[in-house]
Amino acid sequence: MKNTTLAFAFVSPALLFLLAVLGWPLVQAAILSFQDVGVIGSEGHFIGLGNYATILGDAGFWRALGRSVVWVLSNALVQTLLALAAALILNQKFPGVRIARTWIILTWIVPTVVVVIIWRWLLSPSGGMINPLLIQAGVIERPVGFFATREGAMTTLIMINSWRWFPFTTLMMLAGLTRIPGDLYEAARIDGAGTFQRFKRITWPLLQPTLMVLGVVGTLLSFNVFDVIWLLTAGGPSGATQTLPVLIYETAFKGYRLSEAATISVLTSILLMGFAFLTTRAMTAAEADR
Amino acid sequence: MRRTFGQSLSLYGGVLVIALAIGLPFWWVLTGSIKLPKEIIQRVPTMVPHSFTLQHFEKLLQASDFPIYLFNSMVVALFSTAFTVLLALPAAYAFFRMEFPGRNALYKTILLAYAFPGVVVLIPLYGLFAKVGLIDSPVALVIVNVAFALPFSIWMMRSFLATVPREIEEAAIVDGAPTTTILVRILMPLIAPGIASVAIFAFISSWTEFLFASVLIVSDVRRTIPVGFAGIIGQYQIDWGLLLAGATAAIIPVVALFALVGRWFVAGLTDGAVK
Amino acid sequence: MMGPTRFLTIAGFAATLLAGTAYAEPVDLTVWHMEQPPHRVQRMKELLDEFNAAHPDIQVKQEPQSWGEVYAKAPAAFAAGNGPDLLFTIPDFTTVLKGINVVVPVDDLVKDLDSKHGFVEATLAPYKYDDHVWAVPAYNMAISLWYRNSVLKAAGVEVPKTWSEWQAAAEKLSTDGKSGIGLPANKQLYTDQTVYSFMVNSGAGDLYNDDGSIAFDKPETVKAYDFYSKLAKFSPADNSTWTWGEAEACFANSSCGMILQFGVINTYETQAEGDAADLGVAPVPHADDESASATISYSNAIMLTTKDEAKQNAAKVFLTWLLEPANYGRFLTMEPGLFLPVTNDGAKAESFWSDKTVTKYKSQVETMIANSQTGKLFGFTTGKVFPSIGAISAQNVIAETLQRVVVDGQSAADAARPGRRVCPKSPPNSGHAGERS
Repeated sequence: MKNTTLAFAFVSPALLFLLAVLGWPLVQAAILSFQDVGVIGSEGHFIGLGNYATILGDAGFWRALGRSVVWVLSNALVQTLLALAAALILNQKFPGVRIARTWIILTWIVPTVVVVIIWRWLLSPSGGMINPLLIQAGVIERPVGFFATREGAMTTLIMINSWRWFPFTTLMMLAGLTRIPGDLYEAARIDGAGTFQRFKRITWPLLQPTLMVLGVVGTLLSFNVFDVIWLLTAGGPSGATQTLPVLIYETAFKGYRLSEAATISVLTSILLMGFAFLTTRAMTAAEADR
Repeated sequence: MRRTFGQSLSLYGGVLVIALAIGLPFWWVLTGSIKLPKEIIQRVPTMVPHSFTLQHFEKLLQASDFPIYLFNSMVVALFSTAFTVLLALPAAYAFFRMEFPGRNALYKTILLAYAFPGVVVLIPLYGLFAKVGLIDSPVALVIVNVAFALPFSIWMMRSFLATVPREIEEAAIVDGAPTTTILVRILMPLIAPGIASVAIFAFISSWTEFLFASVLIVSDVRRTIPVGFAGIIGQYQIDWGLLLAGATAAIIPVVALFALVGRWFVAGLTDGAVK
Repeated sequence: MMGPTRFLTIAGFAATLLAGTAYAEPVDLTVWHMEQPPHRVQRMKELLDEFNAAHPDIQVKQEPQSWGEVYAKAPAAFAAGNGPDLLFTIPDFTTVLKGINVVVPVDDLVKDLDSKHGFVEATLAPYKYDDHVWAVPAYNMAISLWYRNSVLKAAGVEVPKTWSEWQAAAEKLSTDGKSGIGLPANKQLYTDQTVYSFMVNSGAGDLYNDDGSIAFDKPETVKAYDFYSKLAKFSPADNSTWTWGEAEACFANSSCGMILQFGVINTYETQAEGDAADLGVAPVPHADDESASATISYSNAIMLTTKDEAKQNAAKVFLTWLLEPANYGRFLTMEPGLFLPVTNDGAKAESFWSDKTVTKYKSQVETMIANSQTGKLFGFTTGKVFPSIGAISAQNVIAETLQRVVVDGQSAADAARPGRRVCPKSPPNSGHAGERS
């Protein structure tokens, strides 16, 4: 449909709004990254690319980047698997399926701060519910500290974040599943295809577009997760869960190196933009193929 | 179609696992909030409360402004939702149903907005809001929430718009209907489930937002639930009873809201697409 | 004759005129404090209402904030011109705000209050540097060792005074799933505090050398880390997430035999036995080769952060009122058995000792006050204050070093060697702050 003026009239409010609220501050952050501002509100001077040299030469930045990659990949894996299983189950007909479909979202509608407190309480070896449960089940002998080791802390955070987000992913997948026409399954069944065959030949390929979208958005969303990590471990123990957003916050507000934080932000943004650009292009190409 | 015993078993087993994984933590919080303090911090916890008290809720109401936080959260979330839908709908329509120069580039620009950690824009935004006098105002929160919900909302509309056959619009154009009429009269009912899911997404994003609400709002009477809740986490003492009561109070309103619209939302999202 | 209407008009006019001359517009003061728990806000409100009623020309209102956010929020607020007029603080936070030039010295006020009520010198010292006093001390907090008399007796343990006695006690108290001692290993302020209370007891209280370089890898510091990590083995497995609350809960439900804490009285009273005779408190034990115990103390204070002269004067009236013994005790008991007086008058104030909880736990509160007299604070021990203490404190460098020992298994000596992150270059504005003072 052609109506350029109208199209721009439709697009521009959203576009201008985003430019003002996100674009402008980003330019500010970029300017900041070429200065040497310490505490917020103090004066800075232009120092060129100095911050970039510092950050790119700092092992801490690269370690945080590595942890962010681990964080994003693990979250994607755990959430996709959980959500796919849940969506396949909820796509069946059984008594109470409507209730289940509605209430699976429960973990996502609760504020993050509340999620954090719930899990901090449940996982605590003194008074929490999870440890006695695991001891009763014979999984462990004495109470364990879920955040006590480097790997333990990261794994626990990933599980908690996935617990909060997988129902949302489930619903998105469910929407994708219901869009697959029932006749296809019927036809396959008549052909004698088993449950697994039907999944492999129909469900999986037709779910691809949904999975792609969720993959890209999910990656960006989980990359930028800050509050859960900050409120539960503050990047600890010993830096094991310090992802890039945590590093940015810490550098700006705890280390009082605002300009360095801005530099990390700019680098992070470039990285994510690159990712988003490449994946959306791949998606457009994939769609054109079909 | 009938299921085999094995299929039924794995289906109901799966349902049970999901129900427990999601439900149990909430059960513990809910029941914890009515236990006596001694029972809450007991070394061997109880699944079913052995004691009953409303003292934590009394303390919560007496000593903090929870009803006010609740009201603030509702207002901010409703306005955020309304503006997100108002901005996302026409933009999504233009992006996915109209041809115009620079469409692809602009679309990608909007998506890129998601690539920025919220922490990055926090400081410059604070300065911007301070200049225009919006610090400590719910308007600032609405602006931020809309900005962060908008890109995904536009993207979300994409798949819903894709389910509407182009012939319907083309038929309308042949009839000579102007584009705005097409959008409002014909398309809106068809993509109602999409609008619903965008609205819910915007509402929940706003309802749960913490970082900006904690920095942009200064006075107690304008705080939202997440920040108000963080406020009762003591610096030097943790009153688990009070926290669990606070958690319960923060959960119940959205649960109640969801009991009203949730079924319609999920059904619309999943059944609507088939029609 | 004057009609009633006319009379009223004139009277009204006169009243306006009077009001205009006697008191101008009331001065509004905004106080930010970080005492966010509801009952503390409530007590603060009562005090402010009382003050405002007695001083119609001044209106003070409170905006409770949290320590978690205020380090980010306050500098941003001042930069945007939205900062408070009075701001509660701890010593390292003051150095940060002083760095952006928003803190107004209070030399005269402190001198005046000192002559009236007599400040405990240790509470004033961390705010006295660069030729000025930067905040008015408000309340003190010091870490003590908490235990139950009955539990120690049952295990046949005396109250430990030295580190070897302490370790033996922790070992003996660790029975049937209980932890001998609850020590945190979180990257958080509480751990900074408990670790530092070990450091002051092994002669490693000074964090800085005279030239501003960090003296972190000296033998006394390493010894403190070493012993801390040894003792932490007797702590619950989740101590890497602990803040103050978890330690208190562990003590309250008898899972922990001993803990290091500023105060447990309120929790013990409301969530545990509440048996005043059984609750024990003692100084933090010292290394075997030291002769006496010391501890960490936090002098919480109030900064003046407004450039407006009328507001400054009003703020002084308010602070003077707050430290009057009749009001001060009620301010301290917003959290009974936690906040300790910073003035000699306050330590004797009827309004403090008459509090129900303080009365019940009188001997414990007396011990706490006695312990607080030996209190020190990292970065504020030598009379010289270096701006990098703000970042060291905010980044929890002391606690992070401990995590390298406890979590990563590094040797204490390796962990204590400072790196770039640990030992930040002083912020660019530090020179500024020095020049201005």
